[in-house]
Amino acid sequence: MTEGLSWVPSTIDTGLPSAARIYDYLLGGGHNFAADRELAEKFLLAQPNARTIARLNRAFLRRAVLHLADAGVRQFLDLGSGIPTVGNVHEIAQRAAPESRVVYVDFEDVAVAHSRMLLEDDDQSTVLQEDMTDTDAVLAGVRDTGLIDFAEPIGVLTVGVFHFVPPERDPVGVVAAYRDAVAPGSYLALSQFTADLQPEEMTGVVAVMRRSANPMFPRTHAEITAMFDGFDLVEPGVVPLPLWRPEDGAVEEDADRAGIFAGVGRKK
Amino acid sequence: MSPPARTRRQDIARAWMRAVYPTAYVPMSPVEIELYLLELVDVIAAATQAEPFTVEPVAVVGDRLVEAHFTGPETLQRTVEVLGHALLFAPELQDVPRLAEKVVAILGCLSTSFATSMRMDAFNQQEEIKLALLAAKLRAERVLKVSEARFREVFDSSAFGIALTDLRGECVDANAALADMIGADRAGLIGRRLIELFDPADVDELVSTYRAVGEGRVERVREQRRLLRADGEPVWVHLAVSLLREAEGKPSHHVTMVEDVSELHLLQKNLDFQLLHDALTGLSNRQHFLTRLETLHGTSRGGITLYYLALDAFSVVNNGLGHAVGDQLLTEVGRRLKAVVADETAAVARMGGDEFAIVVANSPTTPTVPAMVERINEALEKPMDNGVALSASIGVVDRPAAGWDVAELLRAANATLRRAKAGGKRQWQTYDRHVDQRIREHQSRAARMPGALADGEVEVEYQPVVDPTGGQVLGHLARLRWEELEHDECLELAEATGLSLALGQWALREAAGEATASDALGVLHFELSPMQSRDEDLVHTVKRTLDETGLPVSRLRIFLDTRSMLDGTGEDNAQVLRDNGIATGLARFNGGQAELSLLADLPVDSLILDPSVVRRLAERPEGFLHDATAGMVRLIRSSGRSVLVPDVSTPERAAWWARVEVDAAFGDHLAPAVPGYELAH
Repeated sequence: MTEGLSWVPSTIDTGLPSAARIYDYLLGGGHNFAADRELAEKFLLAQPNARTIARLNRAFLRRAVLHLADAGVRQFLDLGSGIPTVGNVHEIAQRAAPESRVVYVDFEDVAVAHSRMLLEDDDQSTVLQEDMTDTDAVLAGVRDTGLIDFAEPIGVLTVGVFHFVPPERDPVGVVAAYRDAVAPGSYLALSQFTADLQPEEMTGVVAVMRRSANPMFPRTHAEITAMFDGFDLVEPGVVPLPLWRPEDGAVEEDADRAGIFAGVGRKK
Repeated sequence: MSPPARTRRQDIARAWMRAVYPTAYVPMSPVEIELYLLELVDVIAAATQAEPFTVEPVAVVGDRLVEAHFTGPETLQRTVEVLGHALLFAPELQDVPRLAEKVVAILGCLSTSFATSMRMDAFNQQEEIKLALLAAKLRAERVLKVSEARFREVFDSSAFGIALTDLRGECVDANAALADMIGADRAGLIGRRLIELFDPADVDELVSTYRAVGEGRVERVREQRRLLRADGEPVWVHLAVSLLREAEGKPSHHVTMVEDVSELHLLQKNLDFQLLHDALTGLSNRQHFLTRLETLHGTSRGGITLYYLALDAFSVVNNGLGHAVGDQLLTEVGRRLKAVVADETAAVARMGGDEFAIVVANSPTTPTVPAMVERINEALEKPMDNGVALSASIGVVDRPAAGWDVAELLRAANATLRRAKAGGKRQWQTYDRHVDQRIREHQSRAARMPGALADGEVEVEYQPVVDPTGGQVLGHLARLRWEELEHDECLELAEATGLSLALGQWALREAAGEATASDALGVLHFELSPMQSRDEDLVHTVKRTLDETGLPVSRLRIFLDTRSMLDGTGEDNAQVLRDNGIATGLARFNGGQAELSLLADLPVDSLILDPSVVRRLAERPEGFLHDATAGMVRLIRSSGRSVLVPDVSTPERAAWWARVEVDAAFGDHLAPAVPGYELAH
C-alpha cells in the first residue's frame, strides 16, 4: 500500500500568520508571506510604533549578548528564536568570541527549517524544534546536542517571547526550570510586552493577535521582575528597551513608547 | 586630505547615522555604523571631485547600505536628504564645477543602486523562506509517511474491522478484516454509508452515537451492535467509534473499529461479559462491581470513594417518552459517567433501574468529593439528543476504614443516597455514621409500623384545646402515639410508607368512637394527613365514621392539610365536607400569600397555624415578625374565621397568644395529651 491517505491533513499552512514572520516583516525583512504581512499591517494600526519596537527589541538582544560575552559567557540558549533575521545570536556572539556556541529553540516548522538551512555549515550552532515551555523536553534536547556544558555559565535568552506564553503555562515556573538547570553565574536576558507603557495601544495589539496562532499576554513591570527570581538583576534592572545600557553615540529614543520591558539577570 | 576635511566628513557620517539609525535595525553599535558610513562618504566625495566625472563608483553605496540592512521604508529618503544637503554645502566641494548637477546625478545613481539591491535582497529572502517552507513540508511529510506506514500496517493486518468515514458517514477506507466479516468486497465498501452495513434496528441509535462523537460530546464510544452480512446473517460486534481531527482541531473523520464477537470461540467470552456487565449500558453489573469494589478497597493506598447515584425523575422520562428513550438515556448516562472518571483508577456500574455506582481509588490528583460531584452533575446536565437533561442525587462514602465489607459499604452508600434524595433533586450527601444510625432506626420502624398498627401498639391520645384567655377546654385534638414517637413523627413515618391513609382512617374511627363515649371530650378536632386530605373517598369515610359511631356532626371539626389544598387536588373535599354540615378548617397554615388566597376560595371556618410559625416567634425577640403575625391573626379573625395555635410550650408564649386574641390553643404547657381511658366517661 503506497498511496497517500487522503484524510491526512497537511500540517503546514502558509495561510496562517506566524509571530516569527510578522516580527521579521516589522524589522524590514523579506522572510514572510502575504498572510503575515496582512496581520502585521493590522498590528501597525493598533501600535503605530511597532517597527521601532521591533528594532529596539532586536537591538536589546544584540546588546544583551555582547554584555554576556563581555562577562565571559560562551554558550547561549536562544528560546523562541524565530525566523533567522538580521543580527542572529550566533553571528553576534561569534564575532565577539569565535568559540561561542548557540542552541536555538523554536516550535514553528518554517522558522526551524529556515534556521536549519542557515546553520548547516556551522558546527557550533544548532536548532531544536521544541515548545520552549516544555522545559523537560528542551533541556533533554539541549543536552543531546553536546554543544552546551551545563557545568559552565549559559546565557539563556528569551527576547520578545514570553508575551506569547499564556498564564496557564506558568511563565514563572518555565523560567524557574531553566534557572534550576543552569550553573551559577549563568544569565537570563528577557524582554516582553507590557501594558504599563501604552495601555491603549497594547489593548489594540492584544485584540489583533487574539485570533492569530500567537495570542499575546502583556505583563506588568512587577510580573516581569518576578520572573527574575533567583537572579541578580544587572543595572539598570527591568526597564523599557532603549534604557537598557544604551551604547555610546546612540540616538535618543522615546522610552515611553517602547512597548516592551527588558532586563538581564545573573544566577546567584 | 586636510584634517578639517576629515572632521567634516566625520560630521556628515554622524548626521547620516543619526538620520538612518531609527529607520532600520542594523546589528552594529552607533560608532560602528558611523565608521561604516564614513567609508561611503569617502566614496561619494571622491566621485564628486573626480575628473572626468562619472557616477559609476557611487553605485556601490546603495549595495553597501542594503548589505548592512539599512533597508527601512524611510532609509533612502533620509539618506538623500542628509547627503544632498551635505554635498552641496561641504567646504571641500565648493570649488567643484557644476556641483549641483553632479550631486543630483550622484544621488540618482545611489537611489537606483539601492532600489536594485533591495529588489535582489527581497528576492533572495523570499527564495530562502520558500526553501525553508519546502524543507518544513518535506520533513513533515516524511514524519507523516512513517506514521502512515505504521498505521497502514495496523490497518491492513488487524483482526479488527476498521473503517474510516467522512463526516457524512461515507467510507473513505475500510480494511480487509471488515470486508471479510460481512462477506463483502473491500473496494465495494468505499463510498458506501457505513451505517447501511448495520442491522436497520440499530441505525437510529448509531446515528446519535456518531453525532455524539462528531460533536465532541464524548471522546469515544464502545457499544455492542449487529452488522449484517451480505447473506443477511447478523454479526454481533463490539463497536468502537472515535473522531479524527485536523491540525486545527476541526473534526474530519470517524474511525470505527469492530470486533466480531459472534464467532464461536468468542461466545464464552461474550457470556462472561454478559454475566459481568449490564446488557444495556455495557457497564459492570452489580456482581462485577462488588468484585471491583472489593479489589480496590483492599488495594488502594489512598483509600476509595464510593458514589451511589440515582437519576432524578427518571420515571417521568420513562413513562413520558417511552422505554426506548429511557434505555437510550441510561446508556448515555453510563457513557458520561465513564468519561467523568476516565483519568482515574475507577469502576462504573449500573446497579439496576436508574441507579449507578462509581468507585474511585484515590490518587494525589483525584478531584475532591465536591469537585467530583460537580463533574458528575455537569456531565449529566448537558441535554441529551432528545433534549432531555438529567440530574442525579448522590450518596458518597469517602475513604471508609479498611475493615468495612463491601456489602456494608454499598448499603451505607445507598442509605446516604436515600437521604440525599429526600432533600430534593440534584442533592448529594456524604455518609455520616450517626445520621445513618438514626435513619436505620427510622426505616426499621417504618417497616414495623403496619404490624404495630394491627397489633394495637399505635394509640390515639387527646390533647385539650383551650381558650387561652379563660383557660376553659373547648374540645380535644386527636394525636397519634407509637412507642416514644409523637403525632408528627408517626404521621411522617406513615406518609413515607404509604400507610398514612389507612392509619388516618383508623385514627378517625378510633377518635370518633372515643368522643361518642365521652362527653367530656367535647368537640373532636381531627387533623388530616396530606394523603388523607387529598383522598377522593374522604367525605364518604367521614360520613361512614359518623354513622357507625353515632357521633353528632356538631362534635366533629376536620382540619385539612393546607399544602395539599394548594395544588388544587383536595379543594373539593373542603366544599363537600362543608356541604355535609361538617365544620372544616385548615391545618399547618403558615400565612403565605398563596395560603391566604385559599381562605378566600375555600369554605373553611377555622385554621391551625403551622408549628413552624409558632416556633419561629418563640425563638425571636419580640419584633416585626410578631407584629406581622398578630396583624394576620386579627385580619383572619375579622373575616369570621377562628385561629388555633399549636405547640404552645411556655407560660410566656401562652400569654402572648392570649394577647393576640387567638380563639384557641393547645400545647404541653396548656395541657398534655392523655390516653382515651383517662378521659371522663
